[in-house]
Amino acid sequence: MKLSLAWLRDHLEGAPSADELAKRLTACGMNVEVREPAGPDEIWDVDVTTNRPDAMNHRGLAREAVAAACGTLKPLAINITEGATPVGTLARLTVEDAQGCPRYCARVVRGVKVGPSPAWLVERLQRCGVRPINNVVDATNCVLLDVGHPLHAFDLAFLKGQEIRVRRAHAGEPITTLDGVERKLTADDLVIADASRAVAVAGVMGAANSEIAPSTKDVLIESAYFDARSVRLTARRLGLKTEASHRFERGADRAMARTAVDLAAELIVRLAGGEVAAGVLDSNPDLPAPHEIPFSLSRLSAFVGCEIPRELTLRVLTALELAPRIVGDAVTCTVPTHRVDLELAEDLYEEVLRHFGYENVPSVLPSAAMKPGARLGTWPLTERGRDALTAVGAAEAFTYAFVSEEIEAATAGSPLADRGAVVALDNPLSARMAVMRRSLLAGLAEAAGGNLRRGAERVLLGEVGRVFFEKGGKVAEEERLAVAVAGAVGPWDALRQADFLDLKGVVEAVLAELGVSGTAWRHATAPVLAAGEQAEVVRDGCVIAIAGRLADAVSTVFDIPATLWVAEIDLTAAVAAASVPTFEPLPRFPAVTADLTVRHKLTLPYDQLVAAITAAAPEWLEAVSPVVRYRGEGVASDEVKTTVRLTYRHGERSLTQDEVNAAHFALMDRLGRELAVSFS
Amino acid sequence: MATEPLERARQEFLAALTEAGCDPARVEAVRVRFAGRRSGLLRELEDALKALPREAKPGYGKALNELKTLVEERLAAAQRAAEDAGIQRQVLDVTLPGRRPVTGALHPVTLVRREIEEIFLRMGYSVADGPEVEDDWHNFGALNMPPDHPARDTQDTFFLKDGLLLRTHTSPVQIRSMETMPLPIRLIIPGRVYRRDSDLRHSPMFHQVEGLVVGEGITFGNLKATLEAFVHVLFDPRLAVRFRPSFFPFTEPSAEVDITCVLCLGAGCGMCSGSGWIEILGAGMVDPRVLSACKLDPERVSGFAFGCGLDRVALLKYRLPDLRLLFSGDERLLRQFEGVAR
Ligand SMILES: [Zn+2]
Repeated sequence: MKLSLAWLRDHLEGAPSADELAKRLTACGMNVEVREPAGPDEIWDVDVTTNRPDAMNHRGLAREAVAAACGTLKPLAINITEGATPVGTLARLTVEDAQGCPRYCARVVRGVKVGPSPAWLVERLQRCGVRPINNVVDATNCVLLDVGHPLHAFDLAFLKGQEIRVRRAHAGEPITTLDGVERKLTADDLVIADASRAVAVAGVMGAANSEIAPSTKDVLIESAYFDARSVRLTARRLGLKTEASHRFERGADRAMARTAVDLAAELIVRLAGGEVAAGVLDSNPDLPAPHEIPFSLSRLSAFVGCEIPRELTLRVLTALELAPRIVGDAVTCTVPTHRVDLELAEDLYEEVLRHFGYENVPSVLPSAAMKPGARLGTWPLTERGRDALTAVGAAEAFTYAFVSEEIEAATAGSPLADRGAVVALDNPLSARMAVMRRSLLAGLAEAAGGNLRRGAERVLLGEVGRVFFEKGGKVAEEERLAVAVAGAVGPWDALRQADFLDLKGVVEAVLAELGVSGTAWRHATAPVLAAGEQAEVVRDGCVIAIAGRLADAVSTVFDIPATLWVAEIDLTAAVAAASVPTFEPLPRFPAVTADLTVRHKLTLPYDQLVAAITAAAPEWLEAVSPVVRYRGEGVASDEVKTTVRLTYRHGERSLTQDEVNAAHFALMDRLGRELAVSFS
Repeated sequence: MATEPLERARQEFLAALTEAGCDPARVEAVRVRFAGRRSGLLRELEDALKALPREAKPGYGKALNELKTLVEERLAAAQRAAEDAGIQRQVLDVTLPGRRPVTGALHPVTLVRREIEEIFLRMGYSVADGPEVEDDWHNFGALNMPPDHPARDTQDTFFLKDGLLLRTHTSPVQIRSMETMPLPIRLIIPGRVYRRDSDLRHSPMFHQVEGLVVGEGITFGNLKATLEAFVHVLFDPRLAVRFRPSFFPFTEPSAEVDITCVLCLGAGCGMCSGSGWIEILGAGMVDPRVLSACKLDPERVSGFAFGCGLDRVALLKYRLPDLRLLFSGDERLLRQFEGVAR
C-alpha cells in the first residue's frame, strides 16, 4: 500500500523522525518496503498483511505506530454543518438483504459544483497512486485513504424514484459498470438499485448510469458495510478487483460506515460547496455486542518462552484500542469493530509479541524425549531409487508431472501406464500442461530429446517420481523410476552406439541396487516401444518394468533426432520383491573353467541355451557366463556363435582336469543332440 | 685391515646405485664416480695397491678384483633397467583419459533436500510424505482457510475434478500427521507442490520443505532457536537470522525469516537487491484453529511450523540464475553436481 508520510503524521502527535517511524513500523510487522522522497513529503510503500484491512489506510497505520511507541493518536475531528431539509424527504433507503448488507449509511449533499480538486488533494491522491477525477469522487477516495472505508457517490438526479434499494440482482440483470463493460449478473450478486434498475454492484463498482458528472448538482454518498463473502464471490465471478472489493473481502469496519459518510459529506462541502441535508439514512445503527477475549499473562509468557512485562502488554493493548482490563493474572480485551482478525487468545499473544519484538525473545532449542528419526511413507523407497540411479551413472532429472494430452497419450501405451484413466486438470496453465502423466517417460523422453537436439553425444538420464491414475472415481499415485539411454556408450568407445543390452545392463544394475532378484525378461508388445525391440521384466508373474527402444511414432511426437532407449520401473512392485542377502560360505576348493563356443540358430534364446547347458552338466557346474557373440563371415545369416565360460567347482573336493574334460565333452554331446547346435 | 677401504667403497657403491633407480643420468653419474677411467674410486683404490706392504698385496688384490666385477655387473644391470624404463615410458601415456565408469549425479534439489533432512534427522525429526493430489480440507480447510478465504487467492490452485486439487503446499501433510500420529510430533516434510504460476522466479511445479513440532510446552523461543540452528548448519554459522512479524492463516503469531545474504555476507549485492538480507523461510506457532481441526487441544499442546522453497535454497546454494533450469533435464547442468557429497 502506498501512502504519504505527511498524511500519516497528520494523525500523530509527537511522532519520531521518519527513519525511526519506518524502523519501528517495520519491526512490528508493518513492513515499510520502499521510501521515495516527494518534495517535503515521502511516499512509503508499506506491506500490510492481508489479515489487517484496518491498517490499510493512514489512520489505521498511525494507530499501529502508536502501539509501536511513536507518539499518540490525534482525535478524529468531524465538523459537519447540516441544512434544514431532512434527508428522508430527499431519498429513501430500503435494505432487502440485511445479510448481504448488514449496514447501509447514506447522506445527501445538495447544490454542489463539480470541478477539479485543489492542488493539495490532487497531490495527496497521486502520491498514494490514485488518479484524481473530480472534487466529489476525489473526496470519497480521500476518505478511503484516510480511514480505510470504501464509499460511493451517486448523482441523486439519476436515482429513479430518489430511492436506494439494496437487493439481490435478477438473474441475467444487465449492468454497465464504470469501466464501461456491460456485465450480466446472477441472483447471487448483491446490487444497489434505484426504483427500476441496478446502479452499482455492491462493494465492487458503481454503474455508469448514475455516476457523478460535471452537471451533477445533488449527491448521495453511500457508506455501507457489506458481507465479505458475498463481495468476494461476486468480484471473483465478474473478474473485477477494485479497491472497494479488496477491502470488503478482507472485512470492513461496521462502525466506521457512519463516521466515513460524515467525513465525506464534510469534505465534499469544503471542496464543491453545497449543503448537507439533515440526518443520515442508516439501515441499522445498532452494532452487535463486541467480542471479548480473555487470556492469562502467565500463559502468554509460557507461550512465548520468556517473561513478557505486564506494563508492555497493557500499553500495547491499550494503544491498539483493545481496552484491556486486568484482574491478577487474567486480562480481558474488547475487540473494536475495526479488528476483524481478532478472535482467540493466541491472536492477542501475537499483538503483544509483535510489539515486544521477535528479536527480544531468547532462542532456546526444544527439549523432548530422545527418539530416533526415520524416513516414513514412500521416502525409503524413492531414496533407494535415486541412489540406484546414481549408482548406474545416471543424472537425476526432474520433469513436470503434467504434460500435453498428445504426449501423455503417446507414452501411455504400456502395461505400467494403462492402470487407470488419465487425470486432467480443470484449469491448466496451457495445453502443454493439461493432464497428469501416467508414465515418467512423458517427461523423460522429452528431456532426453532436448539433450540430443542440443548436440549431446550421449544421454544417461534418470528420474524418480509419481504417476497418476483415476480408478473408480479416486486418484491413485504410484512411485516410478525411469531411465533414458542414447548415443555413444563411453570414453574410448565413442563409435559404438548404445543398444538394447546397454539399456538392459542399466536396468539390471538398478534392480540389483534395489535388491530385486529372480526376474525374467520376455518379449513384450507395448505400443510406446518399438515392435520386436522391447521386453518386460517379470517377477512372480507380475510385470515390474518395461524396457526397449522408444517407438518411432512416439519419437516423432517428441522430435527426438536419434535412437532412444528407455525403461520404466514400478518401484513399489519391484521393491516388494526385494530381499536382504545373507552370507553364503566361500568356496574352499579351486574352480576349473572351460570355454564353450556354440553355433546355433538366432531363434534359440540365451536363457534356453543356458538352461540346456545346466541340465546337461554335472551338478558341480557352478556358473555359466557370457564371453562373446559373433555373427558375420563364416556364420550363416540366421545363426550366431555364442561363446560362454563354464565354471566347474565341487563343494567337497578338488576336481581333476580329466573328470572336467569328460564332463565337458559329455555335455557337448548331449547339447548337440538335444538342441541341434554345433561347436565350431 | 688393509681391505677396509674396499668394503667401504662396496657399500657406498650399492647405496648410490639403489638411489639412482632407473634414471639413466643418475646411473651414469654413479658409473663416473666409481668406475671412471681417470678419476673413479676404483682407479684410486688400484693406485693404493702399490703403496701397500708386500705381504698385504695378494689379499688386497683379490678383494679389489671382486669389487671390480661387482661394480661392472651391477652397473650393466642398472643401465639395462634404465633403458627399459625409458622405452616403457614412451609406450604408456599416463595423460590419456581413463576408461572411466560413468558416475551419477543427483538433482541439485535432491542434494539440498537431503542436506536439510540430515540436519533434522540428527535432531530426532522424522521425514514424512503425503499425496500430491489432495482434497480441499487438507490443503485449505483444516489450515484455517475456509472456502472463499482471501488467502486462497495467493495460492493459485490447479483443480482436478470432484473437488480434488494438486496440493499448493506441503502443509496438508502436517494435517494428516497431526490427525494420525502420537504426540510429541517432530517432522520434516519435503515434497513436490503445484501452483498456477510461471515466470523467471516461479515454476508451476516446485518443491517445499516444512517442519512441524507439536507437543506440550512448545514456545516461540523454541521456533527461533530451531531455525537459527538450521540456517547455521545449512549455510554458514556466521549468518544472522532475522524474524519479522507476518501473516499466514495457519500460524499465529507468524514470522518471515530473513538471513544475512549468503553472497555478500550483509554488505549488499545484486542477489539481495542491496539490502544485505535474503528472505528464506516462513514460520510461526501452529494456529489453535489448526490444532482444533486436527482434534488436538490447544489448551494442552502447542507447536511451531516453518517452511521454505527447496528450489530457492538450491538456487542460493549453487548460484543458479533461473528456477526453470531445474526442470529442463539438461545433462550439461545436472552433471555439474556430480562431485557434491550426498
Ligand atoms: Zn547480498
